[in-house]
Amino acid sequence: MPTENILEARRINKSYPGVQALADVDFDLRVGEVHALVGQNGAGKSTLVEIIAGSLKPDSGEIVYEGESYAQLDPSKSIDLGIQTVHQENQLVNELSVAENIYLYDLPRSRFGLVNYSACTARANDLLQGLGIDIDPSRKVSRLTFIERKLISIAKARSKQEKVLIFDEPTASLDEHGKNLLFDIIRKNVEKGLSVLYISHNLGEIFEICDRVTVLKDGVKVNTQNVQNVSMSEVVQQMIGRAAERLYVRGESAVSNEKGGLEVIDYSREGVVDHVSFAVRKGEIFGIGGLVGAGRTELARMIFGLDPKDSGTLRFEGREITPRGPYDAIQKGIGYLTEDRKDDGLTLGQSVAANISLVRVVKSNKGILNLGEEQSQTGKMSDQLDIKTPSIRQRVINLSGGNQQKVVLGKWLYAGSEALIFDEPTVGVDVGAKGEIYRMMEDLARDGKVIIMISSDNPELVAVSDRVAIMRGRRLAAILEGEQITEENILRYAMGVDEQG
Amino acid sequence: MNETTPAVKRSKKRVLDQNLILLVLIVLLAVVATIVNPRFLRITNIINIFQQIAVLGIVASGVGVLLISGHIDISVGSQVSLMGVIVAMVIQKMLGLPDLEVGQWSIRLAYPVAFLATFGTGFLLGLINGLVVIRAKAASFIITLGFMTVYQGVALLVSRGGSYTLYGRFEALGRGRIFNVIPVSILFFLGVVFLAYIILKHLRFGRFLYAIGDNRKAAYVSGINTNRIIVSGYVMVGLLNALAAIIMISRVGTALASTGDSYGLDSLASVVVGGVAITGGKGNALSIFLGVVLIGLIGNALVVMNVNPYMRDVVIGLIIVAAVTISEVTGEQT
Repeated sequence: MPTENILEARRINKSYPGVQALADVDFDLRVGEVHALVGQNGAGKSTLVEIIAGSLKPDSGEIVYEGESYAQLDPSKSIDLGIQTVHQENQLVNELSVAENIYLYDLPRSRFGLVNYSACTARANDLLQGLGIDIDPSRKVSRLTFIERKLISIAKARSKQEKVLIFDEPTASLDEHGKNLLFDIIRKNVEKGLSVLYISHNLGEIFEICDRVTVLKDGVKVNTQNVQNVSMSEVVQQMIGRAAERLYVRGESAVSNEKGGLEVIDYSREGVVDHVSFAVRKGEIFGIGGLVGAGRTELARMIFGLDPKDSGTLRFEGREITPRGPYDAIQKGIGYLTEDRKDDGLTLGQSVAANISLVRVVKSNKGILNLGEEQSQTGKMSDQLDIKTPSIRQRVINLSGGNQQKVVLGKWLYAGSEALIFDEPTVGVDVGAKGEIYRMMEDLARDGKVIIMISSDNPELVAVSDRVAIMRGRRLAAILEGEQITEENILRYAMGVDEQG
Repeated sequence: MNETTPAVKRSKKRVLDQNLILLVLIVLLAVVATIVNPRFLRITNIINIFQQIAVLGIVASGVGVLLISGHIDISVGSQVSLMGVIVAMVIQKMLGLPDLEVGQWSIRLAYPVAFLATFGTGFLLGLINGLVVIRAKAASFIITLGFMTVYQGVALLVSRGGSYTLYGRFEALGRGRIFNVIPVSILFFLGVVFLAYIILKHLRFGRFLYAIGDNRKAAYVSGINTNRIIVSGYVMVGLLNALAAIIMISRVGTALASTGDSYGLDSLASVVVGGVAITGGKGNALSIFLGVVLIGLIGNALVVMNVNPYMRDVVIGLIIVAAVTISEVTGEQT
């Protein structure tokens, strides 16, 4: 095993208003190793990687690269040095050939300054052969499969003699075959001295391909260790840390004994959600955890009738109510608080009153608005939810994140929703407002409503839910109850530790 | 609480500002025009101005209400031209103008048939625009720009490049005056502005237009049938254009394939100057009304002040550019 460092990050600090994203983090990458970076959401992985890639500036600390010290890098500097990121999403130009993509910024020229296509294709061919990638360089990228594109991204990075490659969730959309192909390429190149920084939530893969693993937790480095000397369970434990103080103390559970709350039966769409079924009772807060990309939001959108599905039946109190679209879902008493309120949750330029009343107005089917009633009822709703706004005529864009989220909640409550799906309800919400939102969810449960809460914030799932379902790879991996609901269990199922470790 | 209070004041002030600025501009323009030519302020000229802008006001009300949904209709000018040709053609043929023999039934049915054909056409044009806009991925601007040319061509085809003249047989709507003072066309104009007010303030349809213009995805998640609302918006514009075409022809008495073309640009200028956001979600009936008055006033003032009439288009064009630029700069920055 090589021991020479190509890159070191020393005492890196980075803070955002209200958050210390990284605190005195040290990190080193050896020549010819695959080094994994793991941690829960918000642990600081992306921040560290962005600092190394030069797209973020640290508050303090230094980066040492091949013995040279830098206070900060910028993206073009990083690339000049030979550090390249292979992003999760495709960053190739679809309408150009493989060869043109690889040499996009450095196309071989003929004597007249025109692009020399044959030289370009020949060079690309040599490169691909050398990397062990069997793809015709004259093919158009739009005709390649997903894994082929991923391999081309790597080839593109390697074309400039990169020394450090950063992978961000490289296998997120790959099947087993694609993953093996990718790992082969990584191994081949690592043997030739490439260093890889590998970010993934998939511990199984990390133990398969990586030499060392560094665990981050709340912006602090917990440990760097050889994967041979550590078990998956230990890594999970390090990611969670010692039991933190309870985020929120829940009141008495209000789960109803009667059968037949909301039954989600066999929801499926090829490549998106794989035959998911569960039932939530009235008065229950049903958490859904899992990694980003596990199919949770997609499932919620299918339940609400926003996205097409191959199969799936929704029953409420024993009656089939499978919504055909959002309007139908609303008529049947379902509410969906979307993941990104700015994207599709709120009409930000309109007033608090107009936002709160919108779904009610849709549901009522009355052509003429009752402005007097609207004003008094939305005012009441605003008071009830303690929305901090000087007036309900205020435009929502001027409210804080927490208050905006309450407006979203208000609009579904005013519409009289019986079952509510909260998708990441506290993202971008300050701590105080978080507690208020949890309390409101509890109140709703106590009123006999069905509450489904999708969350990537594991402490939140533990603190608020009566039961927690975990999705992994488009499937429902487990449903945890009572004592089983711990951060550790959620993480284990979300990352598939038990099956592979 | 304290954090949000100043923001409120700011946004309230901004709305007030917009209409206040318009009023100040209108008064300023009136003062200048009066100084140059005192006849400007005569009651007959004022009534004259309103009569001149009545057709523009009707077209602009439709365009403005639709624009609140974030959708534009560039084709309104040629729609009005086309429907002007249709209404004039039907009336001329059925009345047998200038002096052909036609049956009694034909004379009796001339106006109802003409109106029916015009409103039917308006409905159809709006429906076509709306359906293509929701189906195509391209911006409504480009789609309706294309249809603008199509309708111009159809108008030329229908009129065979010539004109239909009504020899003073159809003047009540455009030239008639109640008690010999108030022009009938002004009542239609004010009526349509009032209709815009009702739609935007009191009807669910209007509320949906605001929601779609502000955030179409959020509107859809909230259960709004966004496509249906957008198509309805275009149909509403088509129907108002039909009304505008009838009043226009009644006033001018002759239909050419280009009679209404200028309303396309003028109506857009009016609503944009009035403060309807080009991206949607913002504006009201009063802003549309004041915008129309300002644009109408500019046209009239230039004439009264004896400025080269060709200057008018230069001024209107610059006003659109200025209004859009200013609203981009001062607009949604919070």
